[in-house]
Amino acid sequence: MSMDTELSYLPGLSYLPELLKGLGTTLELTFASVLLGCVLALLFTLVLTLRIKVLNSLVRLQILLFTGTPLLVQIFLIYYGPAQFDLFKDSRLWPLLSEPWFCAMLALALNSAAYSTQLFKGAIDNVAPGEWEACYALGMTKVQALGKVILPHAIRRALPAYGNEMILIMKGSSLASTITLMDLMGYASRLNARTYDTLTVFTMAGVIYLALTGIMTLLVRLLERKALAFSR
Amino acid sequence: MDASSLIDALSRYSGLFLDATLMTLGLALSALGAGLILALVFALGELSRFRPLAWLTALVVTILRGLPELLIIFFVYFGFTHAFFLLTDQFIELSPFTAGTIALSLIYSAYASQILRGAMLSVASGQKEAAKALGLTPPRTFFRIVLPQAWRHALPGLGNQWLVLLKDTALVALIGINDILRQAQLISVKTYEPFTWYCMAALIYLAITLLSQNLINRMKQHSSRYVREVKI
Repeated sequence: MSMDTELSYLPGLSYLPELLKGLGTTLELTFASVLLGCVLALLFTLVLTLRIKVLNSLVRLQILLFTGTPLLVQIFLIYYGPAQFDLFKDSRLWPLLSEPWFCAMLALALNSAAYSTQLFKGAIDNVAPGEWEACYALGMTKVQALGKVILPHAIRRALPAYGNEMILIMKGSSLASTITLMDLMGYASRLNARTYDTLTVFTMAGVIYLALTGIMTLLVRLLERKALAFSR
Repeated sequence: MDASSLIDALSRYSGLFLDATLMTLGLALSALGAGLILALVFALGELSRFRPLAWLTALVVTILRGLPELLIIFFVYFGFTHAFFLLTDQFIELSPFTAGTIALSLIYSAYASQILRGAMLSVASGQKEAAKALGLTPPRTFFRIVLPQAWRHALPGLGNQWLVLLKDTALVALIGINDILRQAQLISVKTYEPFTWYCMAALIYLAITLLSQNLINRMKQHSSRYVREVKI
């Protein structure tokens, strides 16, 4: 490495434009996975709380499988797995299933749904029994009580922990780069392979990830202040 | 693939998977050992009365927690060689196993230090005062009085973090360690059966997770055996 090339990108700032190209993919992936994961988690929590037959044990199995295995294995399984079966290859789903973006999103969403369901269920179990009794006394059914009173309360209490979960998804989205998706981590790896300027490239990528973590933490704090305003 | 060919393949590859499982366990356990020591250092650093040291430790821990695990592993593995080259003008290759252990123990310790710190703060200050009154030296007080009590509070959190560490070991397959995931990758490329072999990997991880959970529960019971329960 000669001296003049080293000086031309002194603080590594010249890598920023290239790295930021991947920021959009990282954000899209995080946002879509959080959204789908949250919807699934709410449905799963409903199934567990109302103890719906058959579905109940299916949800438990989903939680066991997705919390008991590494996220990277799940991503590989969803992306490479279906190719083994002609059933999938001939189906209409194939264009979606052969798309790395969709596979990474699905894996992240299912993974986050499993962890978030545990979180939400725990929050519901921690709601004071008096709240349930008050709802029943007002003549509500179990579903009504859950939808109108218990769930809104429980979700608010679970917000701080859910904020951590969102950050975990954002960090987990970096694994999408292993199935050829060009996200922030993908561009960082490519830049590193091209320039061999490992320390600078990965430091710059790290700074961007840290900024994302910081922004997300702030947003969740703001949301918490709003959602828990009644308890102050 | 039908059942007989599956059994055939299983008997052919079971040795490889056994080696890979031992590799994963060895990596996870060595990262756990190094991580626990590092976590203790971080926790004591953050509790230190010398403010700059406390701030510096808090900064390091925050950075480690805000970065994607994959980035930390790549940073250690590729970055070490680069840093060593910049400092001494020589190329030295860090073995993937060493790099994996360093990176995983750093990640583990960043989270575990927070658990340990909380646990140490939860030991009543009267205990320390009593030890002082009995004439015990500060190090002796810490190792004989505070730490054994903090351990009971810390165990559930540390156990959870161990499960996270176990799943994070899958990432080191990407820097070339022959662990469970990499073995699954190699065999599925050879046999064109990605689904079967990634499922196999997932099941091994699941088995280790369930076994660890069982062990952690027993340790929890053991560590709180002298806590009297009130039966109503």
